[in-house]
Amino acid sequence: MILRLAIASLLARALTVGMTILAIALSVALFLGVEKVRTGAKASFADTISGTDLIVGARSGSVQLLLYSVFRIGNATNNVTWESYLDIAARPDVDWIVPISLGDSHRQFRVMGTTQGFFEHYRYRQGRPLEMSDGVVMDDLFDTVIGADVAKTLGYSVGDPIIVAHGLASFTEHKDQPFRVSGILEKTGTPVDRTVIVSMQAIEAIHVDWQSGAQIPGQSTPVEAIRQMDLEPKAVTAALVGVKSPLQTFALQRAINEYPEEPLLAILPGVALQELWGIVGIAETALLAVSVMVVVTALIGMMATIFSSLNERRREMAIFRAMGARPEVILGLLVLEAVLMAAVGTLLGLALLYVGLTIAQPIVDAAFGLWVPIDTPSMREILTLLAVIGASALVSLVPALRAYRISLADGMMVRT
Amino acid sequence: MKQTLSLIAILAAYPALAEETRQLDAHEHGVGALNIAVDGTTLAMEFHAPGADIVGFEHAANSQEDRAAVDAAVATLAAPLDLFVLPAGAECSVTQASAELESEEDHEDHAADEDHEDHEDHEEHAEHDEHEEHADEAGHTEFHAEYTLNCANPEALTEITFAYFDTFENARELEVQVITASGAQAFEVERDAPVLDLRSQF
Repeated sequence: MILRLAIASLLARALTVGMTILAIALSVALFLGVEKVRTGAKASFADTISGTDLIVGARSGSVQLLLYSVFRIGNATNNVTWESYLDIAARPDVDWIVPISLGDSHRQFRVMGTTQGFFEHYRYRQGRPLEMSDGVVMDDLFDTVIGADVAKTLGYSVGDPIIVAHGLASFTEHKDQPFRVSGILEKTGTPVDRTVIVSMQAIEAIHVDWQSGAQIPGQSTPVEAIRQMDLEPKAVTAALVGVKSPLQTFALQRAINEYPEEPLLAILPGVALQELWGIVGIAETALLAVSVMVVVTALIGMMATIFSSLNERRREMAIFRAMGARPEVILGLLVLEAVLMAAVGTLLGLALLYVGLTIAQPIVDAAFGLWVPIDTPSMREILTLLAVIGASALVSLVPALRAYRISLADGMMVRT
Repeated sequence: MKQTLSLIAILAAYPALAEETRQLDAHEHGVGALNIAVDGTTLAMEFHAPGADIVGFEHAANSQEDRAAVDAAVATLAAPLDLFVLPAGAECSVTQASAELESEEDHEDHAADEDHEDHEDHEEHAEHDEHEEHADEAGHTEFHAEYTLNCANPEALTEITFAYFDTFENARELEVQVITASGAQAFEVERDAPVLDLRSQF
């Protein structure tokens, strides 16, 4: 009875009620959207590197090692000598090891020396391998594979020559040894997109005529001679390690951390990513706070419309009372109306969210490398929606209580 | 011949070099570490905790009482399922468990032992006395345990209840690292909330 009354009353004021519902729907969609982007960003971040059991570098901090080896932010405190690298590679529990050598750049992008193994073993987004969008993995000494962002920003295509600069922000270039783009990687949403990948030998090759950071004047080894040289690296910046069985991971990690000949550090990428997220995660809380405020604003807006509707409905309320409705019924009616509005609003918001996600998902993935999964609302989200509905009941109590107190006297009085 | 000679020379110089490396693990009272790795039905666990957490002291166990306390602690630590309670549905059984008290000087010797045993012998003895005194003053000790478990139904490993905090009253926190097929994760388990939810890991 009271439900029918409430629905009829809402329908009678379709326009204002519709606007209120729309406000709630938008705020709920925004809140859930932020929540999705937040969890998506967190997952994308955690998926920057997967399939690697340990990252080995010079002893510093786990976050720092992760930053320079995976995100190419900052610099290594030290390099790892090639002997130590071979020592670790020779351990029986090591399944594969991929060296990484950083320090040179091409325009604003970092150059990374590595081996073919990088393309085999580097995984992102829960085990996805790197894929070529064009060309092939480098196989000549002066071949490079470039990330999707590098190709896009600099307009490179397969076969273009590029020159690698010495250091990160210097004007001295390794002009004698021009490289050729042999392949372009598919967009991954990881720092690989912004990396120029060359072979370990190439890193050695471009430094053949260099000593203590400067080119030896007048000396230039012809490319053909370099090809004949023994280009065994002297050091690596870091190494990605896969173990044969996860059971051995901790033992290997400890062995590397206690390696007596050289201070080394082995980190579990997942744990270090988590630590790093703990630092950047404050922004996450801020986002959440903003979207909570938007929901609160929408609810207060709803309270305002109920208040103003009280004025229009003075007569209606008074007639209900005169016909024998107890003040509690008036209160119940108003709260019920609010709950109905909020419920329709949240459902509409949910629908908006999924429509929005379906449209935006491929665009966001291509533009930012951010994968926002579309799945059924999580328990947490459902609880949030119920909380919104609950809050609407609570908020509507304020005007409802007012109506409860004054409905009869107020409505019966003739105002001039 | 020449090569052999130089090799011997290098080997002879080696322990001297090794002694130059000095390193110490971090040691924080109240905070232990538990590493768990899962591969199929096998579960490997590694546990470290400062002596202060387990027996309440870190000086050498000289008195009868102290030695009894250490022995009791080692015995308790050798029964992992009473400390780290796994869901019954996982049907876990211990296949191997070992626990020991490790002090810093042991630690150094261990590291050295691996490489050149014969060389060290007499030096080690000489050093030992020194270290012993040292341990009395400021040395830290750590309990260390390793377990291998077999879980018939690893999917049921949804949580771990840390009865550990009830057994050892000085322990405040355990830093838990878990490696499963879905990657590595770190958790902090504290005395106030001694249950670790692992559902996201499987």
